Amino acid sequence: MDSATNRTNMCSGLGADELMTLYRIDEGDLQRIREYGKIMAPKLGEMIEEFYIWLRQQPEYARFFSDPDKEASVRKLQHIFWRHFFEAEVDDEYIRSRRSVGEAHARIGLSLQSYFAAVNHFLVMINDTYYDGSQGGPQHGATVSSVSKLVHLDTSLAVETFSALINRQLSEQSRAMMEMSTPVTALWNDILMLPVVGIIDSRRAQDVMTAMLSRIAETRSTVIILDISGVAVVDTAVANHLIKITKATSLMGCECIISGVSPAIAQTIVELGIDVGNVKTTATLQDALTQAFRQTGIVLSSQ
Amino acid sequence: MAVAIMRARQQCQEAGFDVSTSCRVATAVSELARNIVKYAGQGEIILLRVSAPRGAGIEIRAQDQGPGITDIEKAMEDRYSTGRTLGLGLPGVRRLMDDFDIKTEPGAGTRVTIRKWL
Repeated sequence: MDSATNRTNMCSGLGADELMTLYRIDEGDLQRIREYGKIMAPKLGEMIEEFYIWLRQQPEYARFFSDPDKEASVRKLQHIFWRHFFEAEVDDEYIRSRRSVGEAHARIGLSLQSYFAAVNHFLVMINDTYYDGSQGGPQHGATVSSVSKLVHLDTSLAVETFSALINRQLSEQSRAMMEMSTPVTALWNDILMLPVVGIIDSRRAQDVMTAMLSRIAETRSTVIILDISGVAVVDTAVANHLIKITKATSLMGCECIISGVSPAIAQTIVELGIDVGNVKTTATLQDALTQAFRQTGIVLSSQ
Repeated sequence: MAVAIMRARQQCQEAGFDVSTSCRVATAVSELARNIVKYAGQGEIILLRVSAPRGAGIEIRAQDQGPGITDIEKAMEDRYSTGRTLGLGLPGVRRLMDDFDIKTEPGAGTRVTIRKWL
């Protein structure tokens, strides 16, 4: 239901200060990064050059950089990204820009694996390959730690946005599936049918009811068969929804027959203590259809 | 929730329960999962295979850190509900299962442990 999506949004509200605390970054770290930036900034062009040599060997490269203009514009953005990094002004604007980097990567469908590998490649270049040895050992050690912390913060923001976006797509998809899953079909003159499959929650029950009632109004059908043989469980909430649905349809002058009540479901309903009142139910769809025919005065004869 | 129900049914079948007992257990899980979603927002459901001198079975623990149940005796009565539902969920679950145990404290959450034996 909705709880999964709520959970994933847990950290998205954090601002710059809270994130700095979470990643144990203090003013000293930022100072060290800025200091290190003086060594690194002039080499950024060279580093990006080397990065693309590596990137071209990656299987995903061709998929994302089919057009040479694309590569040029991405290179420019990378330059800005790392310049921004070494300026180390971690404010809300900085955080926002890091989140949008994540979103951009997620949108093009880059795998997290490749994203991490790329970040790692830069980290190695920054801490190792392009370091000129001008800092003392302990000082460089502290710098490496500060750089790593900020890189981790950056990466976490990108990944978080990644997963938020994917979760959003998932919930949109499940919503779309639910909307597709209320196909009310005219079975015969005056007889409608709706098969329900899977799990019924309140929203789905509401969708089912709305779909049924509007088709009843449209077709002026007098019988509607709701087939629940594909429903995973009928618990008290589902039963309650079904009872309400049959009440609503009968108010519109249309009788609802619930078909597909298996022996297991029948026993469960009895043990739960649900009073189904005068809800009409049948074991099979065939029985429901026979009843519907009788009710609408249709006689089938074989010759 | 859907995952909990499907896992429960699957575990029951693996444990050797027949179709209608698996359906009872899956329905009980569905009731408890709904209660968690409705009243506590989030929580967890743990499915376990258990064995005792009397045989093997399945145990389900549904726990949350939600508001708890103020009047547990009333909550176990048929047709009592604070949430405009049928009020048959918890007593129904007790009827569907062999063992039923509930621990709840207002403000400290609820834990329901249920078992079905083969």
